[in-house]
Amino acid sequence: MRNISWRHFDFWLLGSVAFLTVFGVTMISSAIAGNIELVEANTVLKQIIFAGIGFVVLIITAMIDYRYWGALSSFLYLAMVGALGVLFIFGNALFGSSRWFSLGPILIQPSEFAKIVIILILANFFSQNIDNIKKPMTVLRSLVITFFIIIWIILQPDLSTSIVILVLWFSLLWASGLDIKMLLIAGGASIGVLGIGLPLFLLNYDPENTAGLIKPYQLDRVINFLFPDSNARYGADYNVQQALISIGSGGWFGKGYNSGTQVQLRFLKVRHSDFIFSALSEEFGFVGAIVVIAILAFIIARCLRAARLSSDTYGALIAYGAATLISFQTIVNIGMNLRLLPVTGLTLPFVSYGGSSLITLFIAIGLVESVLLRHKSLEF
Amino acid sequence: MSPSTISSQNKITNNRIISFAVVIGIVFLVFIFRLFFYQILNGDTYVALAVENRLREISLAPTRGVIFDRNGIVLARNVASYNVVVTAANLPDDQGAIQNIIRSLAEYIDVPVSRGEIIPENPFVPCVSDHGISQIIEYGEQSAPFRDVKIACNIDQVKAQIIQEKSMDWPGISLEIETVRDYPTGSLTASIIGFLGPISSLEEEYYTDRGFVSNRDKIGYAGLERYYESILSGKPGKRVVEVDVGGRIIRDAVPVISPLPGQNIYTTLDTRLQQAAESILLGEIGGWNAYLGELRITSGVVIAMNPQTGEILAMVSYPTYENNRMARVIPTYYYQQLYADVRNPLLNQAVGAELPAGSVFKLATALGALNEEVVTPEQVITTPPEIQLANKYTPNDPGKSKTYVDWKDEGFGELDFIGGISNSSNVYFYQLGGGDAEELGTGIPGEVPEGLGICRLGTYARALGYGDYLGIELPDEADGIIPDPKWKRIAHGENWSTGDTYITSVGQGFVTATPLQILMSAATIANDGMLMQPTVIRQIEDAEGETVLSFKPEIKWDITVDPVIDVYSDPTSAGGCEAKLTGEKITVDPWVVEKIQEGMRAVVTEGTLEDVFSTFANIGIAAAGKTGTAEYCDTFANEKGLCIPGSWPSHAWTLAYAPYDNPEIAVVAFAYNGGEGASVAGPIVRRTIEAYFELKAIDSRAYLP
Repeated sequence: MRNISWRHFDFWLLGSVAFLTVFGVTMISSAIAGNIELVEANTVLKQIIFAGIGFVVLIITAMIDYRYWGALSSFLYLAMVGALGVLFIFGNALFGSSRWFSLGPILIQPSEFAKIVIILILANFFSQNIDNIKKPMTVLRSLVITFFIIIWIILQPDLSTSIVILVLWFSLLWASGLDIKMLLIAGGASIGVLGIGLPLFLLNYDPENTAGLIKPYQLDRVINFLFPDSNARYGADYNVQQALISIGSGGWFGKGYNSGTQVQLRFLKVRHSDFIFSALSEEFGFVGAIVVIAILAFIIARCLRAARLSSDTYGALIAYGAATLISFQTIVNIGMNLRLLPVTGLTLPFVSYGGSSLITLFIAIGLVESVLLRHKSLEF
Repeated sequence: MSPSTISSQNKITNNRIISFAVVIGIVFLVFIFRLFFYQILNGDTYVALAVENRLREISLAPTRGVIFDRNGIVLARNVASYNVVVTAANLPDDQGAIQNIIRSLAEYIDVPVSRGEIIPENPFVPCVSDHGISQIIEYGEQSAPFRDVKIACNIDQVKAQIIQEKSMDWPGISLEIETVRDYPTGSLTASIIGFLGPISSLEEEYYTDRGFVSNRDKIGYAGLERYYESILSGKPGKRVVEVDVGGRIIRDAVPVISPLPGQNIYTTLDTRLQQAAESILLGEIGGWNAYLGELRITSGVVIAMNPQTGEILAMVSYPTYENNRMARVIPTYYYQQLYADVRNPLLNQAVGAELPAGSVFKLATALGALNEEVVTPEQVITTPPEIQLANKYTPNDPGKSKTYVDWKDEGFGELDFIGGISNSSNVYFYQLGGGDAEELGTGIPGEVPEGLGICRLGTYARALGYGDYLGIELPDEADGIIPDPKWKRIAHGENWSTGDTYITSVGQGFVTATPLQILMSAATIANDGMLMQPTVIRQIEDAEGETVLSFKPEIKWDITVDPVIDVYSDPTSAGGCEAKLTGEKITVDPWVVEKIQEGMRAVVTEGTLEDVFSTFANIGIAAAGKTGTAEYCDTFANEKGLCIPGSWPSHAWTLAYAPYDNPEIAVVAFAYNGGEGASVAGPIVRRTIEAYFELKAIDSRAYLP
């Protein structure tokens, strides 16, 4: 093991993450006020515990040389596919859900960890095959690797996590030097497939068949996003409408902590997780929302900096993958809050409530720090 | 250990990372613009929407004013009505417990455990729609968990008490107390008091602007309830509360504005006299119908008033309705039944029915004839059983000879003024009203050189209160018709004929009047020419008992003092009346009024009311009056085939006042299709006056130590 230099540890990154996490806990505390069930479930305390665990995990991950994960790549892959497969096949019988492992009161969501695992596996694959990246066979192999992870998650069914994994695959492929010609051909092909497939799908779509891959509520969400019914009082569009009212009524500086009427009187739904961005926009206004976006942008930038500083391709792709993960979740979540994207269950990184999601992100940051700690010193 | 499989060189190019960063940066900028758009540019809109979300206005219902009679007897009040309501949020969590509550509750109310389904085709309407308890509770859970949803309405008090006790064990179920209008005197005073109904969609905006709630608050539909709606209803209060998403009230956002209770009205009615008048009227109508063996008299009116003050003491309009049946909700079948009834029970006929006046109108003719010196009181006129008169439509029209008959087959022979009134001779009044030598034609001595004519007759009739609204506080009031050539041209497209004048002189033909107008004409004579403002309002008090308005007798005009009589340049009808107005106005000489009083006294002592009032002399009070037998041929009579020329059906009228010297009671009675005035309406009037004096005696005894 090489000597690691803690001088290279990115305290700015850790500081930003810590700040957002603490802010997230405060915001959750404000958001759940008035919801007796969530207060009684010690939501805030749980998030603090998760953050504590996450911090420890982050430091441990940072200390472990990221390159060990490369050596363990095949094992990680098989373990992940196995866990997801077992959960899918036996989950319902053993835990009552195909999404969670329940260990006593703690629920573990393996698909969250699949995000980290896919970054490690694909980073390893692409760094080994970066010289052949222009060959279609390389791309195809990476897709096959991804497919065996994604298939179980789609079957759960967890569409948003599947999309995150697909995005991670594409993003890492792009960073590894995906041939732009190939991208254009693939893009043209997919447009063709969608042009034929989507009408066929919609024609054969049966809303009564809830066993299908696409649930009626998912299609509803997309339809509601595309054609919102602003008159709906309690319809599917209601939550997004209330989110917009929360954000819009925040003004420049917001209504103040614990004083957002939309949040405190519970007009805003799922305000401690999916719609926490709306909640913070209401209570802290335009300025507060900009600060949160800026800090997230800063975290992403620090991850990309790590990708550039990395001493090898593997480390660079891990840091880049972490940046992709944080960026994509941020974009999808804020886009949904601002009615730019359909409603999905993706959380706002570090701020939203959710243990698995938070720990996953802390691991990602830990990996980035691990890369930074071991980058080639530029000081000769 | 150094993993050898991994290349030790970073082969990721800067441009791929930068392109990624650029894409992310652009998306973040879009977010910031979007945030700016929502929070800064359109912030006000969303602030308004957020306020709309959290603030709810609650209208606080004011207490409606109570209506009393002149002695403090309650005529309209508010009573409690009990509803069973569910607040879904307070129900137990356990479904089994909810089922138990539903089953136990169903034992006490008339709502089944489960019935129907609340769907758009069969929506839930509180108190009206037919759904089971389970369905209503489900509706409450889904649409208004923190609000009270009515399960059963207007349950009786005993059950209400049981449910009140049981509700301790039934979380979520409670008893709601609602006030509804109650009329202790019911149909006795319904035509004056009226009833309430829901705010219609037409008036909704008006009332909601004033804070009323369209499916909670009710408004007056008839009678005083309608006329004094704004006084009785009070002003709703307002609460602006902050609510959460479930509708639960968190706090008052602004100070509560308490509702202002409605004001209480004391009417001039004496319920005892009202009761007496009603039973006298119903007894008389029932007696005659039984005697004749047919349903001949279909409606009737009695009004009693103090002629010196204008206070209405009793006002009976038959048929009427039971306003208590409309108290909670207006039953469709009942309302339709009332609405379809040709006798029009919903109308207060005392002020709203426009009827042929008949001979009671002769008072107006008499007043005019004396004051205009058409005749002198002493002048004796021959009154044969019938006269042939030319019915001329223009001055040069030779006219068709037409027979005008008197009501007594053998005629009255020689009559002076008092005799003319007391015997109610038609021929006498034909000559007073329309007679002149030329128009009377052959065979009749031209004893009246120049008759009153329609124009002058009209102005004297109006001076007695005919032909216009009297301004009583009842919404049904009608104005009646005092015809003139212009009116006939417009209404019938025909010229005025001399015959029209003759029959108008005796209150037939086109003349219509309300019973109240006819009473006022007699009251004006009784009151020495002073036409008092008729009123049913004695006092209006606010909720604290402070007098807001106190009744003071109000003289509309005094015909012996106020110049209310138009002077016409010539008494004929040709060319219409307005063209002949000189603009001059005169008064009536007091002796003229006195003469008519004497005539009315003679009606009772020796005339048409002599028999009817023969027993009245026993109580030692002198009365005066006038009868009327008004021939009519309306739609209903025509349908029944009663309109036989020369023998039309007739309404019975009688009016009288007493004591003669210092009148304190004037009564009019009307019986639809009653036949002869004296024999049908006469007893009603006499007995009502008797009842008045009996009550007066009771009252004076009661005040003795």
